[in-house]
Amino acid sequence: MVNYLILCRSLTYAQRSARALERAGLMAHIMRCPKGISTEGCSHCVKIKNNALERAVDILVRAGLKPKHVFGNDGAGGYEEVGVVGLS
Amino acid sequence: MVYLDSAATTMQKPRCVAQAAARAMQTMASPGRGSHRPADLAATTVFACREEAARLFGLTDPEQVVFTCNATHALNIAIKSLVAPGDAVVISGYEHNAVTRPLHAMGRVDIRVADGPLFQPRKILERFEKLVTSDVACVICTHMSNVFGYILPMDEIAELCACRGVPLIVDASQSAGCVPVDAGKWRAAFVAMPGHKGLYGPQGTGLLLCSAPAKPLMEGGTGSASALQTMPDYLPDRLEAGTHNIPGIAGLLEGIRFVSRRGAEQIGYHETTLSRRMAEELSKIPGVRVYEQDLGDRCRGGVLSFCVDGKDCEEFGQQLGKMGFAVRSGLHCAPLAHGTVGTLDTGTIRASISAFNTADEVARFVRAVALASK
Repeated sequence: MVNYLILCRSLTYAQRSARALERAGLMAHIMRCPKGISTEGCSHCVKIKNNALERAVDILVRAGLKPKHVFGNDGAGGYEEVGVVGLS
Repeated sequence: MVYLDSAATTMQKPRCVAQAAARAMQTMASPGRGSHRPADLAATTVFACREEAARLFGLTDPEQVVFTCNATHALNIAIKSLVAPGDAVVISGYEHNAVTRPLHAMGRVDIRVADGPLFQPRKILERFEKLVTSDVACVICTHMSNVFGYILPMDEIAELCACRGVPLIVDASQSAGCVPVDAGKWRAAFVAMPGHKGLYGPQGTGLLLCSAPAKPLMEGGTGSASALQTMPDYLPDRLEAGTHNIPGIAGLLEGIRFVSRRGAEQIGYHETTLSRRMAEELSKIPGVRVYEQDLGDRCRGGVLSFCVDGKDCEEFGQQLGKMGFAVRSGLHCAPLAHGTVGTLDTGTIRASISAFNTADEVARFVRAVALASK
């Protein structure tokens, strides 16, 4: 995967998540979700690098911001939901 | 002009407030509604304001900070989330129409009033202790009277509500920014406040701090879960339908930062000191009746009411206005408070202090009242 998208229920939730990741030293970019992966219409996600997923999830869980869905971006326009250790 | 009407709106603001509002109009769009820089700037500003407010008011989660048009809007959401026709509620005897009118409009609400004389916190607390029972849907209480500056014993009232399992709505319209407001410590269901008074933001801004499930007052677009025809069930989106007041929020952010830098306690100390001096000097003028606390009790903020014997309060306020002093006269949208104190028939003249008033202004005001009262 080129990068990962952590889906968030709202812009504010995405901002809180990005803030927690940045404080822990991870680069995090807030963006609107690609239409193909947002099941309820408009939503926001946090984009992180491909090698940062497990650490990011760990940070978010510790901050009480447990992600529900994470998608991997294959770099060719395709997204695939990925299972992550620590998420049920 | 000497501006002494900050209990209505603080007109003198830190310069950065207007600058931020103007910059927002020039550079920011709608937060979360686009993938471009103006939308991102707006989103960053809104989030910064939520974080700053959460920090100032003892909340850990900025999602609990909801933007409203004013305190009245915030109180309407809070009241309509917790109260239904047929319910019983307890309110203090110092509530504003922003509390009492929504309750009356709802119909069939049993409104129980915990009244008590001015500046006697123990007495009003006794009334709350008597009235707050398990059949009460919620307690609604102002933190500081907008007419008399009376600071109610909120720590004790909040503790009482928590012990008896009754949700609490705090109206912090007069206290936010000049008395410490700790929504976390109080475990209040909701705390409502305007942005344009003690927080020095622009008019048209307000905050609702939410710790209980809330019902939207209006429905519409939120930039989230757009495919659904129901409002999101999470905050702040649930209560923030439609485009935000971005210039207002940008200004409010700077206002809250100003309060955080100075400290609400420090601002309150300045206001109370000037207000006490004003009360002391006004009470020396023949015919002037000042609603002031006894020296033993320290429970009045920077809001002071007085009457002048033989003078209509509205006419007296107009006279002061012509002399270059901005005050507010009448019932101050709080007939219940006037009824509690016994000034419903006469009204009062109210002089309210902000962080920007000076001792010299107070001295000039006292001389003007002495002159006008002759």
